[in-house]
Amino acid sequence: MAGSAAALDPAAVTVVPRRIQAGFWSDALWRVRHDPTTIAAMVTLGVLVLVAVSADLLADQVFHVGYQQQDLFNQYRKPSLDEPAWWFGSDQLGRSVFVRLLYGGRVSMFIGTAGAAVAVLIGLSVGLTAGYFRGWWDDVVVWLVSTIDGVPRLFLLLTIGFYFRLGPVELTLFLGGLTWLGVANITRGQTFSLREREFVVAARSIGASPVRVMLRHIAPNVLPLIVVVAMIDVAMIILTESALSYLGFGVQPPVPSWGNMLSGASQHLSRGPWLVYAPGVAITLTVLCLYVIGDGLRDALDPRLRGQR
Amino acid sequence: MGRFVLRRLLQAVPTVFGILVLTFILTRLSPSDPLDFLIGGVSDMTPEQREALRETLGLNQPLPLQFVDWLGHAIRLDFGKSYFYQRPAAQLIFERIPNSLQLSLAALVLSLVVGVPLGVLAALKRGGKVDHAIRLFSVLGHAIPAFWFGLLVVLIAGVQFRVLPIGSMNTLGREGDLIDRLWHLVGPVLTLALAGIANYPRYLRTEVLEILGQDYVRTARSKGLREPMVIVGHVVKNALLPIVTLLGGLLTLFISGAVVIEQVFTWPGLGRLLFEATLQKDYPVVQASVLAASGLLVLSYILRDIAYAWVDPRIRFR
Repeated sequence: MAGSAAALDPAAVTVVPRRIQAGFWSDALWRVRHDPTTIAAMVTLGVLVLVAVSADLLADQVFHVGYQQQDLFNQYRKPSLDEPAWWFGSDQLGRSVFVRLLYGGRVSMFIGTAGAAVAVLIGLSVGLTAGYFRGWWDDVVVWLVSTIDGVPRLFLLLTIGFYFRLGPVELTLFLGGLTWLGVANITRGQTFSLREREFVVAARSIGASPVRVMLRHIAPNVLPLIVVVAMIDVAMIILTESALSYLGFGVQPPVPSWGNMLSGASQHLSRGPWLVYAPGVAITLTVLCLYVIGDGLRDALDPRLRGQR
Repeated sequence: MGRFVLRRLLQAVPTVFGILVLTFILTRLSPSDPLDFLIGGVSDMTPEQREALRETLGLNQPLPLQFVDWLGHAIRLDFGKSYFYQRPAAQLIFERIPNSLQLSLAALVLSLVVGVPLGVLAALKRGGKVDHAIRLFSVLGHAIPAFWFGLLVVLIAGVQFRVLPIGSMNTLGREGDLIDRLWHLVGPVLTLALAGIANYPRYLRTEVLEILGQDYVRTARSKGLREPMVIVGHVVKNALLPIVTLLGGLLTLFISGAVVIEQVFTWPGLGRLLFEATLQKDYPVVQASVLAASGLLVLSYILRDIAYAWVDPRIRFR
């Protein structure tokens, strides 16, 4: 699959003859660069991330208010263009919705990315070892996956929130710890078939250790798929975190997250309807970008799916 | 078929056991003293009284023994009395399950009725404006957080235009009135079904496109069958087969998503019961509702697999 896979793909050869000599990853990059939808999503997401990351700077220099700063003379201010801080209005305590949105984005994006990293790490190691060694360990993994899959996600998280007090770090770990199933399933399935392939058998026959076979020969072949799943996992975790924070079990106030901003907004529907719009649009936009990028990457990375559109 | 059902049921045994272990372990991993959960809010106790109670409740025994004891109760659906309602937790659960099922099943029907035609349409109009619009809607439906969509429905249709009720199952004093119930179902079902409606077109489109290229479709056309008959009788009928597997994912979505949606629309289902129980520190109800929701989910997975084996005989002999 890796290496000169693109050169062997007859569709790729006829469509883009000058890419014959390209390697797998550079070919993928080339394909992404020629996919306007994916590029647009990447640019949008890039702007969102940049703005969220520089929340401190922007709050200080442009908006001149912090995310906790209350202004009781300016409660329920409608969105207006007068002052940057009131672009998206103010909430029941007179806090700037725009500034809170920036900080909330930072929290939500961090949890999404870190959670997905945890999920990929667990999923990859579990999937590789289960698929490679099989036997009792594989049975345990299958049992574990079916068990965690059998408990509705939000029910489980709510129960965990009941038994434990979750800070942002614990929240990230738990969200990641419940999201690895997808990566593990894919890795396991791929490893099953890859371990019988000639290049793996060859590596084993010259005495490569299991760890080396898994990391050097199997993992690189699974990686393209994992990249796509990781993108979708980030989106899923952001969605789950927002739902959990909306219920009051995720990120705790005063730290804003998009989810707990909506939780506040839902209590002030008649006085401040605009409070509902901004955080929801922010979540939707971020998740939408991630899905579109995931889709684009899958088309670019998986030679079998090319040309199906 | 009987053998398949039996085998599938046996496969569920370890899963159910795992769920029971998971539920039990969570209570014991918790940094709080399990005794505090079990006595539920009684705070004026001397340390001696606490120790005595610990002894009677068996909390000083080794964990595996405690688990066996707990399992014995759980299997008999005996989770103890709710601290808040002063009634057996299992009883509360069985009152709420029908409410949740109403919601999930209605959402399921809606996503099939809307999603399937959209998918077929997208495939037939491949590459056209309609196809792109459906694709866009499908991606958007995935990206919108369901609970936010629910909030928008409440805000716009409930608060601003007052065309839909803003919550609960019935108007006060009109309990048992079917029209009124349906009216209250519109908001939550629409919200819950959004993800399902977004889901079907994606899969159905690929499926239909593949089938359109099959020999038997060409044969059907060449023998003079009219196009609508070809589409409905040959294409859609075969495209629906793999769609059954999607049901499982949707039911997960509907059962799990119900927690937030029931909260947004104050719908008294299983999810709302759990949510309230966590706030009220109602330990027996927390356990019972998580297990009940998991039971529903595992059951729906089994039903999905049986349905799949029923429509596609090849599965039975795997």
